[in-house]
Amino acid sequence: METPLTSTENRIDTLKNCAFLRGLEKSVLSKLAAGAETLRVAADETVITRGETGSTMYFIVSGRARVHDGEVIWAYIEEGEVFGEMAVLDSEVRSASVTTESDSLLLSIDRAVFYAALSSDPNAFKAVLHAVLKREREIVHEIKTRSTTLLAYQKELEIGRRIQADFLPASVPVIDNWEVASWFEAAREVAGDFYDVFKLKTSPLLAIVIGDVCDKGVGAALFMTLFRSLIRASSLYGYGDSSLAKPASNEIIGSASAILLNSILTTNRYIATTHAGSSMFASVFFGLLDTQSGKLSYVNAGHEAPMIFRQNGEVDLLDITGGVVGLFPAANFTVETTRLNEGDLIFSYTDGINEAKNLDGQQFGEDRILKAAAPEENNIDIFLSIILDAVRDFRGEAEQSDDITMLALKHLSSET
Amino acid sequence: MGTLNIMVGQAQGNVPVTILRVEGDIDAATHKSLQDKAAEVVEGGATHILLDLGAVNYMGSAGFRAIHAMTNMLSDEASSELSKSPYLKLLNPTEAVARVIKTLGFDVYLDIYQDRDEAVGSF
Repeated sequence: METPLTSTENRIDTLKNCAFLRGLEKSVLSKLAAGAETLRVAADETVITRGETGSTMYFIVSGRARVHDGEVIWAYIEEGEVFGEMAVLDSEVRSASVTTESDSLLLSIDRAVFYAALSSDPNAFKAVLHAVLKREREIVHEIKTRSTTLLAYQKELEIGRRIQADFLPASVPVIDNWEVASWFEAAREVAGDFYDVFKLKTSPLLAIVIGDVCDKGVGAALFMTLFRSLIRASSLYGYGDSSLAKPASNEIIGSASAILLNSILTTNRYIATTHAGSSMFASVFFGLLDTQSGKLSYVNAGHEAPMIFRQNGEVDLLDITGGVVGLFPAANFTVETTRLNEGDLIFSYTDGINEAKNLDGQQFGEDRILKAAAPEENNIDIFLSIILDAVRDFRGEAEQSDDITMLALKHLSSET
Repeated sequence: MGTLNIMVGQAQGNVPVTILRVEGDIDAATHKSLQDKAAEVVEGGATHILLDLGAVNYMGSAGFRAIHAMTNMLSDEASSELSKSPYLKLLNPTEAVARVIKTLGFDVYLDIYQDRDEAVGSF
């Protein structure tokens, strides 16, 4: 196919308009033009690859290319601009990859041709050095700008992290004959996990909540504040039933069901309709505990099954009683009940525990939780730290990829 | 962004059913290609979709979000008050994916079939 670059004159025109070669004498440009080769490259082809050695620089006659490292794009190179010149000048490996954005026509010049042409004119090196330094100044300026922007973002994120911490309980309530402990560790600055422990204002019930919003980072964090607040606001004052204040335990359980269902249904419907387009959801375990009798009513909406370590050594899993919250407006949930007798311990957690991965890609899993757990420990904080140590030992050098949240309650034996 | 191999098929049940057979892991990097393909077939007139997960070895929360987005694309006034989507069903999830579906309780929201003909006939 006929290209616009068959004549040396046309090539000289292309080269002399490039800022990188500005200032070169026509005799030098002629030598470069004579030694250059034309290259047609289809869209989305990688011309140079980061880390490889190379001895060719390229001028874009027509088309466009991106400078990138994997998915991260550093810059775009337009018509009349050069790329790949650094490795030609210093013989180091390519510092970034360059991939065409559209069908492109390139002129390529090899290192040997480049140096041979430049050595014919003593002023040529000065001109190229000038162009290289000009580009370096631009890069330094760009880095400075990006660093300043990055610092501003980090500051914003830190503010976000501090505000989000306010959406977790500052302390857990102190209750006679019960020990409560929690652990929260975000994988990034802000998290999608949450937990909550609070006494209802209208009854002696204690609310325990643990949840995990899908996804990570800022999006998950925003929805975490929403889920947590909706659940707390819709349950804190009970659910429009005067019998809530009555102490008879069967009525409290009946009321607990009503409060749980109202809270989860309200939260689900609100998010599924108001934020339908976001497709954001959370797995939530929400329990209401009668701390006198030990009766626990709960909804498990798509969350990892909390474990009850019985005093006699048995373990019960509180399997799901409904799907995740926030997606389908007409979702139904069921309330189940169990009892935490003296000496029993309930342990709830998020998938940062069971899905923690080691470098081989294996997951920690439910079985390792059961193996590590030491419910006989007198101090419930130690119970949590033993699990956490087991997860960290298992993970080894692998990074923490997800938020870790744990919440545990133990019904103390009255004789101890 | 990664892409998934998605084969589009048609089957005739009580209504015409579009079958999307996905190959690969549905995660944060790939879920968009599933969503885009679904949008394309819905744009082309598909009203009932059977999502074949027989060749999906991993599905993260991004995959479940994509599935929800698909139910949104297909929903109408009648279906929005149902607890299960009548327009999107799942076929033959692998063991690993079935486990996550069960943990998240997605089987509460979507019908899951092992047999293709039975699935097509259920629409």
